[in-house]
Amino acid sequence: MGGSAGAVAGAIGLGGLMTPALADDLKQKSKQVLFIWLDGGISQLESWDPKPNTEFGGPFRAIPTSVPGIHVSELLPNTAKQMQHLAIVRSLCTQDDAHSSGVERIQRGDPKNRGVVYPYFGSAVTKLLGANDSGLPPYVWIKPLSGGFKHQDAGFLGPKYGSLAFGDGKPPDNLLRHASVSDQDLTERAQLRARADKRYAASHRAGSTEANSFVFDMGLELMKRQDLFDASKFSPRDVERYGTHDLGRHMLIARQMLQAGVTFVKVNSYGWDTHGDNFNGSLSLVRKFDQPFAAMIEDLAASGMLDNVLVIAMSEFGRTPRVNGHLGRDHWPEAWSLAMAGSGVKRGIAVGSTSDNGTYVTTEPYDIGYMFHTWFNALGIDSQHTEYDNNGQPLPIAHDDCHPVQELLA
Amino acid sequence: MTALKLFPKPAIRRRIFRGLVLLIVTSTGFGAASAGEELSARVDALIGAAAKGEPIGPACDDATFVRRVYLDLAGRIPSSQEATTFLASTEANNRPALIDSLLASPDYPQRMRDLFHAMLMERRGDNAEWTKFLEASFEANKPWDQLVREILDPDPDNEAVRGAAFFHTRRLEKVGQQETDYPGLTRDTGRLFLGIDLQCAQCHNHLFIDSYKQVDFQGLFTVYQNTFIRTDVKFPAVGEKVTSKKLEFMSVFDKQPLTTGPRIPFGQEFEIPTFEKDQEYLTPPDPKTNFPGVPRFRALEVIARELPVDSNRAFVDNASNRLWFVMMGRGLVNPLDQQHLQNPPSHPDVLQAVGEELIATKFDIKSLLRQLALTETYQRTSVLTTINDVPPADSYRVANEKRLSAEQIMNSVFVATGPRDHSASIEPPPAAQPSTDAKPVPTADEIRAAFVKAFGNVPQDPEVEFSPSLKSSLFVLNDSAVLDCLTPQAGNLVDRLMNEPDPSAVADELYLSVLTRRPTVDERAEVADYLAKNESRRQIAVTNLAWALLASTEFCLNH
Repeated sequence: MGGSAGAVAGAIGLGGLMTPALADDLKQKSKQVLFIWLDGGISQLESWDPKPNTEFGGPFRAIPTSVPGIHVSELLPNTAKQMQHLAIVRSLCTQDDAHSSGVERIQRGDPKNRGVVYPYFGSAVTKLLGANDSGLPPYVWIKPLSGGFKHQDAGFLGPKYGSLAFGDGKPPDNLLRHASVSDQDLTERAQLRARADKRYAASHRAGSTEANSFVFDMGLELMKRQDLFDASKFSPRDVERYGTHDLGRHMLIARQMLQAGVTFVKVNSYGWDTHGDNFNGSLSLVRKFDQPFAAMIEDLAASGMLDNVLVIAMSEFGRTPRVNGHLGRDHWPEAWSLAMAGSGVKRGIAVGSTSDNGTYVTTEPYDIGYMFHTWFNALGIDSQHTEYDNNGQPLPIAHDDCHPVQELLA
Repeated sequence: MTALKLFPKPAIRRRIFRGLVLLIVTSTGFGAASAGEELSARVDALIGAAAKGEPIGPACDDATFVRRVYLDLAGRIPSSQEATTFLASTEANNRPALIDSLLASPDYPQRMRDLFHAMLMERRGDNAEWTKFLEASFEANKPWDQLVREILDPDPDNEAVRGAAFFHTRRLEKVGQQETDYPGLTRDTGRLFLGIDLQCAQCHNHLFIDSYKQVDFQGLFTVYQNTFIRTDVKFPAVGEKVTSKKLEFMSVFDKQPLTTGPRIPFGQEFEIPTFEKDQEYLTPPDPKTNFPGVPRFRALEVIARELPVDSNRAFVDNASNRLWFVMMGRGLVNPLDQQHLQNPPSHPDVLQAVGEELIATKFDIKSLLRQLALTETYQRTSVLTTINDVPPADSYRVANEKRLSAEQIMNSVFVATGPRDHSASIEPPPAAQPSTDAKPVPTADEIRAAFVKAFGNVPQDPEVEFSPSLKSSLFVLNDSAVLDCLTPQAGNLVDRLMNEPDPSAVADELYLSVLTRRPTVDERAEVADYLAKNESRRQIAVTNLAWALLASTEFCLNH
């Protein structure tokens, strides 16, 4: 497994990049990512690519946005007002219509099979952008229910690049300093432990002490940032703007994490798989997304953070134009949409079109590999000339046969 | 050979000839007890030859050895007293003697119980009957094939072994509204007892492992999809429906309908007998008691009879590979459940030799672990500077660092911080504060659960590589389960250190108790320095020193 097969001494901190100079350059720009995952498949027809008054359009109307010529579903009224910051892609066409395999393939970029498990986008970005200065976990996942460290995200990069999930945005266990330990003791203990590890590393493989020091340093840093988990720190106005529902609260915590300097923040929302009652479902779900998403874009733009934060909102596929017998829409990877914004991305555009009734892509279809290329380039990483080094095996960072979509890049 | 002429009948002559051959073969050590002595030497010769002249590290020093072998065979570090005794001994065969005494100690079955619980249940939860089954099995040094047989076809009528059914029943439990995970149970049987992961062969022949066919998965699946959890008894127990017809299946690619009866992967299919109506049950079901009945033909019985046998190459190789992994820190086939032609073992001859030994000793686990512990390969240093090289992990030119399980870490924390002389049973320290309603003292089980939660992987994720987590670091930083061990109590580590006036002796006692070795000159100086700076708060100073070593990489690895 990669990631820790460095030399005894002098292992490059960013170990495993073919172009270390590029990485140094990136560090200075402090790029970040906000990745909003709408698990189950948001209906593009009830969001980014409405087709009112067509055979499969459903009951909702399309509304104009702040960008003349671009319309979205009426279920996105707040987001419509932020369209000048956004880029919508309507021409996604991917391979997998199953959740269990589809989620993995999308989040790992579905590259060519080289016999390794590719990392999730978050793990990839953590590796490629390197450590940020915050001392906080680089890849954080805010999700409902349980938290914990998800090392599988990292694939061949090695467990260090997994995501740290905060269940319902709550802090991890044992974050509070124990009553028997003073701040001074904490500091002295850390120094003594670091010295012990340095001695051990002098005669053993570097990977073990790196991994151990990493989690202790992170633990101490996180202990200093209890405020990140303190909901009472949010202004009442923000709480109202983002919404008091799950996704609203989680997005506000995500903003907090981004402001604190976390490199990659993933927010999960569940329940989007509307095989039945799609229209009532979308009415509720899309609205829940619209409110905090628009607030986030507004805040990132106002603070100037949007220049360096790449925002992506997507699912594992779209939904069928044809409405089934349960008033629902089923899975449709053949033609679907996502929204993005921020670092390196053109603003106020809609790329790609689908047919009049929304069934197929009529412009150049984009598999997820194209998106990975585009996103890496938006972050300043040359996706076509950067490779991973998996214990000597060079691996492209995105699908060889795809390329960045120039239309989307600023 | 002249003797044969006295027996003209060809059949008898053949029998005697065969007997003579067997005698010759046996006496040359093939499959006899004397072959046991050779395994360790054979392994070292093969590992040495495979190194092809590249530098090989020397034996580890005694301090490293005593710590390593205690952890592997007793599941804990030695107490400072045990370490002192071993390090002071001048006997030539002190290492083999220690190995034998650990294998005979009561710590050994507990260590094996914890090890195989984690390996076979992968943190899916605990069960008292299952724990009892495992511990009793290792107390009796039950052969591996018998252990597996008892798991594959659990006997509900035998109180001592019925807990083996937990392997099955935990995996048959429904999670929320999800379907019963028969494929998962099928897959795990393949992974854990045959070293093959057939997950991707459920719906079609495996796309890149040529030898894994869909029928390999489906043949095993026919067995498990007919099982269920018995609800008429309080202990874990598996019931089986009547198997009357073959399973139909089809590849998602070529859509050709196929059928199979129960089948061991890579093996033959077993006939499903037909019975007269009302004759399918050996013991008929009883609706009054909910007893599900016992069918006359039980696929589990067939699997248990046919899978764990010495003629099943995959079974033998898996056992060899996993026991090798326990001692050497890496499977000869890696990952442990990916055995196939395109993923060959790093040392096929070593795997073969270990397999032969297992067959010869009738799957004697203790005997095999002993042989492996006696090898130079096992006793090699892990220090890279001895050869000034960073060899690949699968070369064994230096010893591999091994991840410590949650249980090993817990036991070791107790021993490190406890009294100098540690009894054979591992216990948490006596409570620092008396129990109150607001803050009750946690039970030993609760403390164990806390360690497992902090250091264990998520359920179903095999614990193979060293993967420290934020969870484990925050646990060591702030959890009472660890920090209570550092409050001074009569005779424990912090108490002894506090009351030792000589800083050099403090360093000695500290390093021996926690890291099972003597401090270096620099380390001794650091301790003296730190104590001098903290004269007025000695208790805190020694506590900080002890904590730092407990949190260090050196402590939480088996190096």
